[in-house]
Amino acid sequence: MIAPNVSAVSSSRPEAAFVLLLMQSLLWAIAGISAMPFALAGEVFMVGLGLASLLLALATSLLAICILWRRNRARRWAMRLEIACLVGSLVLLVVPIGANHGPVSLMTNIALPIALIALLRKPREAFT
Amino acid sequence: MFDIAPDHAIGLYAGLLALPLALIAIRLRPARHSVPGTVLAASVLLAMSGATHLALISTHVTEPLTSWLFLANGTGYIALSFAFTWRWWRLASASLLIATLIGYVVWIAIGLDSPDQVALATKLLELTALGLVLVPVRGEHVTHRSWRWVSLGVAVPLLTLVATSTIWIVDLARPDAQHSHAGAVLQATNDVATPQQVAAAAQLYSVTKAAILPYEDWHKALAAGYKPGQDLGGSSHWMNQHNVDAGYVMDPNHPQGLVYANSKHGPVLLGAMFQMKRIGQFGPDPGGPLTAWHQHENICVTPIGFEFSLMTPFATCPLGAIDISASPMLHVWIVDNPKGGPFAVDIDSDVVKSIDRA
Repeated sequence: MIAPNVSAVSSSRPEAAFVLLLMQSLLWAIAGISAMPFALAGEVFMVGLGLASLLLALATSLLAICILWRRNRARRWAMRLEIACLVGSLVLLVVPIGANHGPVSLMTNIALPIALIALLRKPREAFT
Repeated sequence: MFDIAPDHAIGLYAGLLALPLALIAIRLRPARHSVPGTVLAASVLLAMSGATHLALISTHVTEPLTSWLFLANGTGYIALSFAFTWRWWRLASASLLIATLIGYVVWIAIGLDSPDQVALATKLLELTALGLVLVPVRGEHVTHRSWRWVSLGVAVPLLTLVATSTIWIVDLARPDAQHSHAGAVLQATNDVATPQQVAAAAQLYSVTKAAILPYEDWHKALAAGYKPGQDLGGSSHWMNQHNVDAGYVMDPNHPQGLVYANSKHGPVLLGAMFQMKRIGQFGPDPGGPLTAWHQHENICVTPIGFEFSLMTPFATCPLGAIDISASPMLHVWIVDNPKGGPFAVDIDSDVVKSIDRA
């Protein structure tokens, strides 16, 4: 590991987006795993939700890899995913159902999608 | 885990304040053009984490070891956030981040601290910073590229998993005084019940028991508008939507819910449940610590089959579930509940099993 040294590099936005998507997929994977004990306790639908979360985590990891390869289609899919996440989180933020509004929740569910949207919005020339 | 410890709040403010300052500091440095954006982003996160650690010294002066560790961490992070052109920056940053994350996990595992929102937010920043430090950038002249990928692919997922599991286990195993069990926050009360409070609790118990005894015949409960809910560990809450909407406050004649054991002989009445209308609005507490209400927070509920799980420490729910809190409630158990008494948050599972066997 040596000092950062770049020459005529393309933008590092895809790499930054890769790291953030990796973090997001890990958090979703953990959410999927966390549903399983409840499924074992008899909550049958939680099996489905847990598996769906794990599949989403896997899909997000694959998107992250394709973004690293600078695939424009992956960038578009990731944008859609993050916009959907952000809209859902903003709705939960506004609706008075007692959803968590702590700093960690805001970072994970609001700041992370916003950062990803900002990173993936441009430069489009970084993607093919 | 989902609260901000009063002595940690200053760390949150310092971390937020460090964000614009770090961005300005980077813009003022011409050297920023010689490094990838991932390095600059990691520098900002290191500065935020460093500021958080340094600010926490002021509220931990009575704990010398903790203060020294905060000082070492804070100065290390701040120094590294400025030194992003240093030859060994990645190695030093990754080492400090990994050591800090492992140190925190050990620290809470041995009971020297309890996880809270400031700590979790800082760990999330550090995990992200670690990823940004390690990720190789296309076009960057770098040796050991494969080592960087291996480190990124192993360290970040492993540390995320270990940190999350440890934080969760510690939080469930050692809940603080206001958290009687997972996801339930108790109403603040005096520590020891006064004789008047003991008498008031006994009065509430006897009046409630007399009022709900007719519902031992579950057909009457059904006729009165109580509808059976999902089986949770052998028992079900039967909610009366009319009583919920009417907003009766701890009215023994109109409890919002009844709790039945789902025995093989049919539903057996365990007790009543009073519930307030609004989240965060605890009800009257005549028995002090004996009749403290509780509020379920950070539950992941799915409308599909109305099932639930708990929100993870890093605030995620399974896909299709949403995070909610339930308004405060108070149970009155009319059967013997040896582990928690007549107003406990939960009914003893052994009681439910013995009813089923009877």
